[in-house]
Amino acid sequence: MILVALLLTTQGAVQDPRLERLDPETRSSVVAIVDSARGMGLPGEPLVQRALEGATKGAGAPRIVAAVRRLATDLGTVRSTLGERASTPELEAAVAALRAGASVQVLARLRETRRGPLTMTLSVLADLVASGVPPDSAAAVVLALAPKSRDADLVEFRRAVERDIALGAPPGAAASVRVNAGARPGTAASRP
Amino acid sequence: MFEHDDDIVERMIRQLRRPVSMDPGLAARVMGEIAAPAHPGKKRRWAWLTAATAAVLGAVVIAHPWTRGSGTSTDAFQFVLVAPQAASVSLVGDFNDWDPARSPMQTAHGVWATVVPLAPGRYRYAFLVNGVEWRADPAAPNAIDDEFGTPSSVVTVAGRGS
Repeated sequence: MILVALLLTTQGAVQDPRLERLDPETRSSVVAIVDSARGMGLPGEPLVQRALEGATKGAGAPRIVAAVRRLATDLGTVRSTLGERASTPELEAAVAALRAGASVQVLARLRETRRGPLTMTLSVLADLVASGVPPDSAAAVVLALAPKSRDADLVEFRRAVERDIALGAPPGAAASVRVNAGARPGTAASRP
Repeated sequence: MFEHDDDIVERMIRQLRRPVSMDPGLAARVMGEIAAPAHPGKKRRWAWLTAATAAVLGAVVIAHPWTRGSGTSTDAFQFVLVAPQAASVSLVGDFNDWDPARSPMQTAHGVWATVVPLAPGRYRYAFLVNGVEWRADPAAPNAIDDEFGTPSSVVTVAGRGS
């Protein structure tokens, strides 16, 4: 009985019915990557979701496998930086920040300076870059805000910067001005 | 001849009139046999099978590697897309296994909307218009790493109290 339970646990990716949406060639490659990642203690779910995204979007096998493999590599990188206890959402957000241009040193400093989950902090960093803020500027403002800001403050800060950009402000300047003018996000300076 | 028969009858009557001594535990044993199942071995086997099935299902539920999250609480999030010309819009993303059939959006005068419960985390998603056209959410940050050649957005859900 215990053996059966262990088999079910260890062969989760093999029996994951969602992966049947992939063609056999892609599925076997994805399953191998997911199993390998799980063997290293990395979460498999983000990898499965990336494969399903590719399948739904009609991507070819090489593209899907490359995306899943790259994500597994990046999850391993950020897990090494954030530590074994980092949650799956934190790791996903850290991968987004890493891909946005944040260095592993920035991730490590955020881990050191901010108490509690880093998911929102890292997401805001990535989202600022997606809005056009240069990666260095985004990392600098998030590092400045991270120690004392609540998650809600960070979200409000990001929205304020996006509004300024939409109104024509240069992205880098918008972020810097918001930090300098507001001192603390969530104050009147960051509201419309 | 008749005397002999009378003797036999007399002996039978005497025998029948003798008090019968019964085992006091007989009634309990009889009732026990009545209450016991016809095939006690079968019942034991069923009990083992039931326990085994429960153990396997329990292991699957505990392990369930193909589900997301860890039982954390969820909040309802509304996703909206203005698409007056669209005949159908689906919301697809990490929260519904990128399955267009899972979250079809409802329309009112060209404004398409749906509500999805989300646990804390970061999710990639997109709108699928008319089953063929991918659109990012204009009201949300874009996903930077678009590896499949179509736009996606991201939503980040903070944990409670953070």
